[in-house]
Amino acid sequence: MSVAVAGVGESGPALDDPRSIPEIVLEAVEEALQEARLGFDSVDAVVTASVDLLDGLTASNIAVTEVVGAVLKPETRIAADGLVAAIHGSCLVRAGAYETVLVVAHGKASLGPYWELTSWALDPIFLQPLGLDFLACAGLQARALAEDDAAAEQRWARIAAERRRAAAAHGVAPACTAEDVLASPAVASPLRRESCAPLADGATAIVLRAAGPAEPGVHLGGVGFDLSPHALGERELTEWDGLRRAWARALAVHGTRPTLDVAEPSCVFAYEEDLFRHALELDPGTEVSPGGGLFAGFVPVAAGLSRLAAVVRALRGPGGLRAGVAHGTWGPAGQGQAVAILEAA
Amino acid sequence: MRADPGTATPALSVVHEMRLTWRYASGTAMERFLAGLAERRIEALRCGGCGRRYLPPRPFCGRCRLRLSDWVPVRDEGTLDAWTVVHLPIVDARTGEPRPVPYGMGLIRLDGADTTLNHYLAEADPDRLAIGLRVRAVWREELRGALDDILHFEVVP
Repeated sequence: MSVAVAGVGESGPALDDPRSIPEIVLEAVEEALQEARLGFDSVDAVVTASVDLLDGLTASNIAVTEVVGAVLKPETRIAADGLVAAIHGSCLVRAGAYETVLVVAHGKASLGPYWELTSWALDPIFLQPLGLDFLACAGLQARALAEDDAAAEQRWARIAAERRRAAAAHGVAPACTAEDVLASPAVASPLRRESCAPLADGATAIVLRAAGPAEPGVHLGGVGFDLSPHALGERELTEWDGLRRAWARALAVHGTRPTLDVAEPSCVFAYEEDLFRHALELDPGTEVSPGGGLFAGFVPVAAGLSRLAAVVRALRGPGGLRAGVAHGTWGPAGQGQAVAILEAA
Repeated sequence: MRADPGTATPALSVVHEMRLTWRYASGTAMERFLAGLAERRIEALRCGGCGRRYLPPRPFCGRCRLRLSDWVPVRDEGTLDAWTVVHLPIVDARTGEPRPVPYGMGLIRLDGADTTLNHYLAEADPDRLAIGLRVRAVWREELRGALDDILHFEVVP
């Protein structure tokens, strides 16, 4: 038995969306269901992803219970990246527990001071008193990479500019050049403002369905995830070894190593693309973030699920692409890692 | 081994204060509801499927899974569905100060609505409160389109 992605829907990414979270989420859910040609009644179970701290609300899924159609239905809530919710949803289908599972993730960066909020997700004894946040953690990681690599900052600037250019038409920030990136103010050295994906609001919803292996459409193949130690000092910062482990698990589930036509990493910072390529030993022929990836707008929590939606759209497109990989990450400096293989049948 | 908090050395406990600000969008349904309060008007959203009149208004019926847009008028008087008298002071979100205790808290089914509204009760004497009592809103003199335009509900004599 296989798991097909029967529908995807997205709201955003948008800058400072004036709507409430339920309004944003409903738009994505209705689009996904419409694409799948299903009504709410056909959904057997719901998996949502949201983070209390970002929403300023404990049990942040209570805000969306109605609009994801979870009232009187089995709902699971994941407090991590949305791709983990998709992985959980696919497990429910594979286990034979449910035939149709709706997976929804939302993030509204404009609701609060995002980077400041991430500080509260760090260890309260040693790290919070230092004022550290995920941005500073990323700065430390980028510095560890740049230390023995004189060309790193130039390369990252080119990556950021390329992604920004690809995203300009549909993203929340205008195109810019590598020179613009290098001239932009430092936010956590060596990170510069323009080498970071712009924060945004949005939601992504996907419908997963049990399907025969040869049923036409996009199928969710091998999936894997991993959690590294929280403390940066207990990790080798110059690689995403958690992603390496997650990828090995995904390949083991998948059975074979597919030829990847497209990769959609969740890279908030340009330097993370180096880590991503390295962890997956990505073939140079694989196209990375053709639509600019998260540089179109980084919607916290929904990012990984939005990458899955991007791969689905690429595989459905006229290019005849056969396989792709979606990636999600959460926590400081890529502590949590998730990856999913998608194939066109 | 557990440390007695009273004798714990500073090394055993790190005091943490969380001061953060979030900015919620109330959504179009609440926007209209709040604007109505400024004119002493209470409105509920009625579901075209089950007919439930939601108050506070919900933009979406979780049972019928339908978007709601049918606004119906609700009176500022109704029936007490449940009540309690609170003796543990909470911080009043409106003032930032502890709310003087005891105070009454009720679930009120306003005439014209099918769901109940949480609100303060003017009455805090358990002997004078009962499920089924008729209650009515006491409005603030200067209305500003906020939830506390209704100060509390009083028992209709």
